[in-house]
Amino acid sequence: MNSSKKIISQILLYTAVIAIVAFCLFPFLQMVSVSVKDIHDRANPSLIPKEIHLDAYKEILGFAEVDEAQSASIQNILKNPNLIDAQRDAILKKYENKNPFPFPRFMLNSFIFATVSTFISMTCAIFAAYAMARMEFRGMSIMRRGTLFVYLLGGVILMVPLYQMGAKLGLINNKVGVFIFMMLIYVMQTIPLALYMLGNYFRDIPYSIEEAAMIDGCTKLQTITKIIIPLSKPILVTVFVYCFIIGWNEYLYASVFLKPFGEMRTLSIAINELFFSKNDIWDRIMAASTLTLAPVLVFFFTFSKNMVAGMSDGGVKG
Amino acid sequence: MLNTTSVGTTNKSKTKKLVVKYKDEKLAWALVGPAVFIVTALIAYPTLLNIYLSFFDIGLDGSRTFVGLANYQNLLSNPSYFSSIWTTIIYLIGSVGGTTLLGLGTALLMNMEFKFRAIVRTIIIVPYFAPVISVVFGWKFIFDPVNGIFNYIFADTLGIINPSTNLIGDPNTAMWVLILFSIWKYFPITYLIILARLQIVDKALYEAASLDGANAWQRFRYVTLPEIEFVLGTTILLRTIWNLNRFEDIYLLAPQIKTLSIFTYEQAFTGVIDQGLAASASFVQLIFVGVGIVYYIKKILKW
Repeated sequence: MNSSKKIISQILLYTAVIAIVAFCLFPFLQMVSVSVKDIHDRANPSLIPKEIHLDAYKEILGFAEVDEAQSASIQNILKNPNLIDAQRDAILKKYENKNPFPFPRFMLNSFIFATVSTFISMTCAIFAAYAMARMEFRGMSIMRRGTLFVYLLGGVILMVPLYQMGAKLGLINNKVGVFIFMMLIYVMQTIPLALYMLGNYFRDIPYSIEEAAMIDGCTKLQTITKIIIPLSKPILVTVFVYCFIIGWNEYLYASVFLKPFGEMRTLSIAINELFFSKNDIWDRIMAASTLTLAPVLVFFFTFSKNMVAGMSDGGVKG
Repeated sequence: MLNTTSVGTTNKSKTKKLVVKYKDEKLAWALVGPAVFIVTALIAYPTLLNIYLSFFDIGLDGSRTFVGLANYQNLLSNPSYFSSIWTTIIYLIGSVGGTTLLGLGTALLMNMEFKFRAIVRTIIIVPYFAPVISVVFGWKFIFDPVNGIFNYIFADTLGIINPSTNLIGDPNTAMWVLILFSIWKYFPITYLIILARLQIVDKALYEAASLDGANAWQRFRYVTLPEIEFVLGTTILLRTIWNLNRFEDIYLLAPQIKTLSIFTYEQAFTGVIDQGLAASASFVQLIFVGVGIVYYIKKILKW
């Protein structure tokens, strides 16, 4: 009686565990599966493809060959003697960009925005969080609470004023301006999180370690660079990955500011545009999605211990 | 106010501390300066500017005409604004409720002993970290009427639903998919926070309850629940604040679901652009979010 009860409870336990794992992983498996399936295999409900096709990846990454038939027909049109030069130039220009979806370029854009803004955020946040955790100064408590407030504030609320500010400062109608403005917006979205997580961590570092350093003649600034930063490596990695992911994910502001500047688009807006650009594009969409996911997964599984610790401390956003 | 931690007790050391403190204040401001500048220029100032803008009619060329409360009047007489509030409430109830229940259930499950527990605990966090843009199309595919597994099972195999059902395309059913998606994406945080709390519950409490003859439900109800009540409340409040602000997930998965965020975005950037109206809608949303945040900071967080 007792042992059969135990067996049943074990079965229930493992069924529940398998169900929850399946629920979590199924959409990912579905994505990867469709990305390698041939078009005729797509309606096949099985996750395992009949054959593995990497054509979608090749096309997305720009390794696929240029459509010969199309270029031949363009050549024929260009041979037409009635064409005036301006028309000829227009046609050439239209077909000049053979790949209208330079995925590697979009990936690079996302990477640049995410990493540069993370470095700026973290550099500012390390010093500010130290001061907020360790030093007493007028306006500090309002600053601590302010940090939390902005940490919970959503992007939608700042959308209109930021657009108006960008327009007034002449930053949103040229590439350089938009690049600087977007970078600042990325920093703005990550800095509260960095301040909050680093501040929590710094306060738990025993003060005696710093005192010892100061007795040895270290200045406050040297204490930060020589004692605090080396001691905080795990949290710095965690904060870096969190900030990078926020940047890599960003959609709202990129869709507002970067859309008019084709080659500056980030992954998130580019993939969404790709989805609505052609019919029957599932395989390439899934390949693009998988490639977007890959760096995040690499980060996550490399630093999973740090990430999990950061999450249960409540230092998460979203 | 004076910070009393690590301040000496004798008068002499107090004076010394004060002198150091004065020098420190300059350094402190130098250290926080850049961060404060970014937060002030890109968050605090825009928040105030938004309130100001909500009293203006903003032209496409950036011209501003003072209109008083007209934007708010327009907002309150706009039926789609009210329907977006209603949509947001449904979304919040479904997504916060579902996230909390699944997060709680998973936390209880992962607190038990079983094989491969460490790897399972890690795997189920992946949905939270996955970029929205990279998973949203996987979800769209599942419910695609032609190729998707959902229609394959429920229409082609079981015949419960019409084969032409487009769960995401149909505004009446898209909400269900959105709620399911939100639960899938955000229950890992709730689960982790509750699990962290569960792990420090004193085991002796359960033993004592068992000795008193409490069954599994009673142990949960009278031992576990009181212990985790606080974190449960915290996660519900935070999830409500965050989902109230949510934009990307909804806009990319099913933009026909007009929550407040989508309503504001569309007013500001698509169709007939009315940024003044959008500013007033943002401000109303800020009030709701702000009440939640202030409550969180004051009552829950001792920072």
